[in-house]
Amino acid sequence: MTYAYLFKYIIIGDTGVGKSCLLLQFTDKRFQPVHDLTIGVEFGARMVNIDGKQIKLQIWDTAGQESFRSITRSYYRGAAGALLVYDITRRETFNHLTSWLEDARQHSSSNMVIMLIGNKSDLESRRDVKREEGEAFAREHGLIFMETSAKTACNVEEAFINTAKEIYRKIQQGLFDVHNEANGIKIGPQQCISSSVGPSTSQRNSGDVESNSGCC
Amino acid sequence: MKRGRTPKPAQGRAERTLVPACPTGRPGRLQRHLSGEFDQLRDFPIFESNFVQVTRLGEVANKVTMGVAASSPALELPDLLLLAGPAKENGHLQLFGLFPLQFVQLFVHDESRWQLKVKFRTGRAFYLQLRAPRETLDREFGQWVRLLYRLRFPSAQGSVPFTQEYPAQDWEEQDDDEDLTPEEEEELRTMEARLNPQASELWGL
Ligand SMILES: Nc1nc2c(ncn2[C@@H]2O[C@H](COP(=O)(O)OP(=O)(O)O)[C@@H](O)[C@H]2O)c(=O)[nH]1
Ligand SMILES: [Mg+2]
Repeated sequence: MTYAYLFKYIIIGDTGVGKSCLLLQFTDKRFQPVHDLTIGVEFGARMVNIDGKQIKLQIWDTAGQESFRSITRSYYRGAAGALLVYDITRRETFNHLTSWLEDARQHSSSNMVIMLIGNKSDLESRRDVKREEGEAFAREHGLIFMETSAKTACNVEEAFINTAKEIYRKIQQGLFDVHNEANGIKIGPQQCISSSVGPSTSQRNSGDVESNSGCC
Repeated sequence: MKRGRTPKPAQGRAERTLVPACPTGRPGRLQRHLSGEFDQLRDFPIFESNFVQVTRLGEVANKVTMGVAASSPALELPDLLLLAGPAKENGHLQLFGLFPLQFVQLFVHDESRWQLKVKFRTGRAFYLQLRAPRETLDREFGQWVRLLYRLRFPSAQGSVPFTQEYPAQDWEEQDDDEDLTPEEEEELRTMEARLNPQASELWGL
């Protein structure tokens, strides 16, 4: 299975916000209500198609506990994208975003695309953080934002794919040096870089998923 | 998708250093996979073997490649455990997880069947049976036993001759409670995640 690029993602956020469930929903299209506590890193992978290009997402699902935090830090290195997740039913997970973000910014490449995710949108009745608050936080810190539900799969696909689109866009704009592995991007086996990308080749594909496709 | 039928034959030597499992100079499958897609892990020394996951009673479930790696050449002992297995879609080896060894314990589960027990400090545990050619099986298993001995008693390194003669019963599974400090316990429990997995569910292998 060949691909034009491999993007490394990292999923971060407090324990219990649904990071592992989001990954499972994205890679296996299923929800497993009881998920083992993650220690260290668990990996997932999936191919996506962006602008007619096959892109392999290599996803690092990390442990959220404080005692693993120092370990997690070393894994930011070389990530092209980060999904920063909080739980819309637990305000403290939203309050901790700043500290996650500081960590991420400090230990990653400055080009890393960060998607802020308010997860568990299916639990509307227990909502503790307004959507507008998420939006405002994202705007303030230059993040992309979506609310998702790993349970119903709402926006899960979009969250991963929109992040990839943003990374791809940055590649096309020449913001990412794809030859520098520290950026979390690898050119796929047998790909010729000069023919596979270039600022001028962008032919926006109108069939792409648009953000906020509206199920949440 | 042929599985490596020839897991690197381990040299039966009594060296003090952990020898990466490629005495022939040929990197293991896990190591090769990492060099392809995991830049950050590429240069780690890795000791790896092929296993099958078995139930507590010994029924065979699925293939697992387990390795230990040192995240820095300065370390005397490996600090990471790597688990990989065939990907669902194409059977290619795929890395499933990377775990700090401080949160993992290895035990001999059944020496006569070359079985190890891998236990996470969250409580999750599973059993692995070594796969190797008959003639190198004991030797390779012996390496894992030495490894788990060292991980458990790093300071005892100098005092034990690392030959094939190890007192196996000493490293057999012990009771399960030298695990978490109350604080760690607390932290792990606070969240909704529950900790009672089935071995076969592990990473949906
Ligand atoms: N209702 C609902 N529950 C979820 C959702 N995502 C995760 N959960 C639950 O939240 C808990 C923690 O999920 P997990 O993925 O292990 O969180 P992690 O610690 O961030 O990896 C589990 O009990 C899941 O069942 C969601 O979108 N909706
Ligand atoms: Mg998790």
